[in-house]
Amino acid sequence: MSNALLEVDSLHVEVDDKPILKGLGIAVQAGEVHAVMGPNGAGKSTLANVLAGRPGYAVTSGAMIFDGVDLADRLPEERALLGLFLAFQYPVEIPGLSNMEFLKAAIDARAKHAGLDEPSAADFIKRAREAAGRVGLSADFLRRGVNEGFSGGEKKRNEILQMLLLQPRLAVLDETDSGLDIDALQVVAAGINAFRSANNAVLLVTHYQRLLNYVVPDRVHVLADGRIVRSGDHTLAEQLEQKGYGWLAS
Amino acid sequence: MAGSPAEVTLTQRLLKGGHSGYAPWLDRRPSRDVIERIGLPALRSEEWRHTNVRRWYEAVLANGSSRAEEAAAIAAPAAIEVVDFASPRAAELAAAGPASVIDLASQPLAAVNALLLRAGAVVRAPSGIRSTEPVRIGALNGAFQHVLVHVEAGASLTLIEEPSAFTHRVIEATVAEAGHFCHWRRQARSAERECSLVAVRLQAGANYALAQTSRGADLRRNDIRITLAGSGAEATVVGAWRLHGHDHLDNQVAISHAEAGGFSRQTYRGIAADSARAVLYGRIHIAAGANQTDAALSTKNLLASDAAQVFAKPELEIHASDVQCRHGATVGTLDDAAMHYMRSRGIGEEAARELLLAGFLREAIADAEGAELVGLGA
Ligand SMILES: Nc1ncnc2c1ncn2[C@@H]1O[C@H](COP(=O)(O)OP(=O)(O)O)[C@@H](O)[C@H]1O
Ligand SMILES: [Mg+2]
Repeated sequence: MSNALLEVDSLHVEVDDKPILKGLGIAVQAGEVHAVMGPNGAGKSTLANVLAGRPGYAVTSGAMIFDGVDLADRLPEERALLGLFLAFQYPVEIPGLSNMEFLKAAIDARAKHAGLDEPSAADFIKRAREAAGRVGLSADFLRRGVNEGFSGGEKKRNEILQMLLLQPRLAVLDETDSGLDIDALQVVAAGINAFRSANNAVLLVTHYQRLLNYVVPDRVHVLADGRIVRSGDHTLAEQLEQKGYGWLAS
Repeated sequence: MAGSPAEVTLTQRLLKGGHSGYAPWLDRRPSRDVIERIGLPALRSEEWRHTNVRRWYEAVLANGSSRAEEAAAIAAPAAIEVVDFASPRAAELAAAGPASVIDLASQPLAAVNALLLRAGAVVRAPSGIRSTEPVRIGALNGAFQHVLVHVEAGASLTLIEEPSAFTHRVIEATVAEAGHFCHWRRQARSAERECSLVAVRLQAGANYALAQTSRGADLRRNDIRITLAGSGAEATVVGAWRLHGHDHLDNQVAISHAEAGGFSRQTYRGIAADSARAVLYGRIHIAAGANQTDAALSTKNLLASDAAQVFAKPELEIHASDVQCRHGATVGTLDDAAMHYMRSRGIGEEAARELLLAGFLREAIADAEGAELVGLGA
């Protein structure tokens, strides 16, 4: 399908010479939410990271086409500027650099890429505060070091905050739901639902079906041993919840 | 007489020459004695292990003792007395004030300074005067400079050393009971070879806060000696540096707790890029009887290239039993995970690196002007 926002085709990826993804294919249209589910170690984070261009992940064959652009030779920052966003499974702490400065640098880079003026400090602060409010983080979290001393849940909220602020075309959320209490899960789900539009898409990478009660996906894929072994509608997630992943093996 | 040709020539010149006539009241005999008895620091001595002091001797011989066309520039609020060493009032103040706090035997370069001195000033914060407006030291008219600071009982003084050139500079300070001395040092990048000494003595309940931001120089050495001579004194030293090219920076800091109930903190953050070299020796000495001392030192260093070097060494010498003393030293490289995280948000590699380096130094130095100087202006 050539009009897909993201098209991953027969993707083979190695980490430290070890094959992790072994011919993975997936296509996501604008306006869709896809869930990628699978047991631990299946390669879910590998998929998310290789899309974002993390060093150390070698694409040995296959293709990743995003909005018509082959991602293979693109730097991580170029992918971001094209509109790709990854909410990290393990967001990084950066002491000394305030969350605010970090977000401003990201917003400014995007404005510059689009040939627009950087937003004024006042305008930016207003937007950042508003996004923080939507994920239930007080303005204090904007002043603190990036993720510095944040709880697991606060880090995940901060990822969603960045997604809301940066408004990417495709958001890949790597286990953003794991480790969240029910309140945080609802906040994160509300953020994702508010983000959804006909122009963008979401790839939810998750181990559990829980989040999918709040964010109903258009398609569900099961990733096992480096491949998509089954795809279906949202009812597939419910089946997985009841039966586990074992019945899909072989 | 042993030593390098430059060392021998310099020693002979120092012992032979009379002084310039500047500040005749200054007693130069102890300095001459030290040079005669002990001589200049040996090239291989432990304290000069990382800095080739011979190169500084060469600079002394080449520069002479005057530095042309730099008018002295000290700005001070009215409540603070500032007098040039050349004035008779300086002699009065020096005579009335506490004895020298410099141990010439361990600081022979201070003896060289005294013998070649061409620029000096006394800065006095009179008893009980709490001045918030700083004294600013810009250029001083001479290669060898001495600023004598007297903070009298209960007074407070803020002194800013703006970036300026010297071959050797001494900042000598006494802080009397319950006095406060806040000291900013800003060292710009320089092609010169510069050594300095900060010697501070604190009486009971006195407080000294030093914040030093440094770029590198062809050779830059800062000796900092702080003595907590009265009970309950406090010293805080913060240092941040960022070096490039062939910069060389050697910071030798020693805090000595002589009395009970003292508090000291040392926090250093440094970045060395290219083939720059940074040295930090941080010593904490706690004398017998200096109980309830609380001392800590932390130094974190980033190497931004394979050829850059850092030598970071905390050293503790504790002779009292009831004390708290902590130290930590790390040397690392830029965090790859943090770099990737930033780039994944669209921030280019160069910008991401700058933000990370700035964040790293800002952990030590929050002051905007200081941050600006080390190349971190927000
Ligand atoms: N940096 C790495 N070095 C070595 N092996 C890795 C690395 N990252 C992932 N792997 C391996 O790749 C496989 C898939 O990991 P991952 O993609 O994290 O799975 P998931 O996210 O589905 O739990 C696992 O066997 C894991 O051990
Ligand atoms: Mg994972």
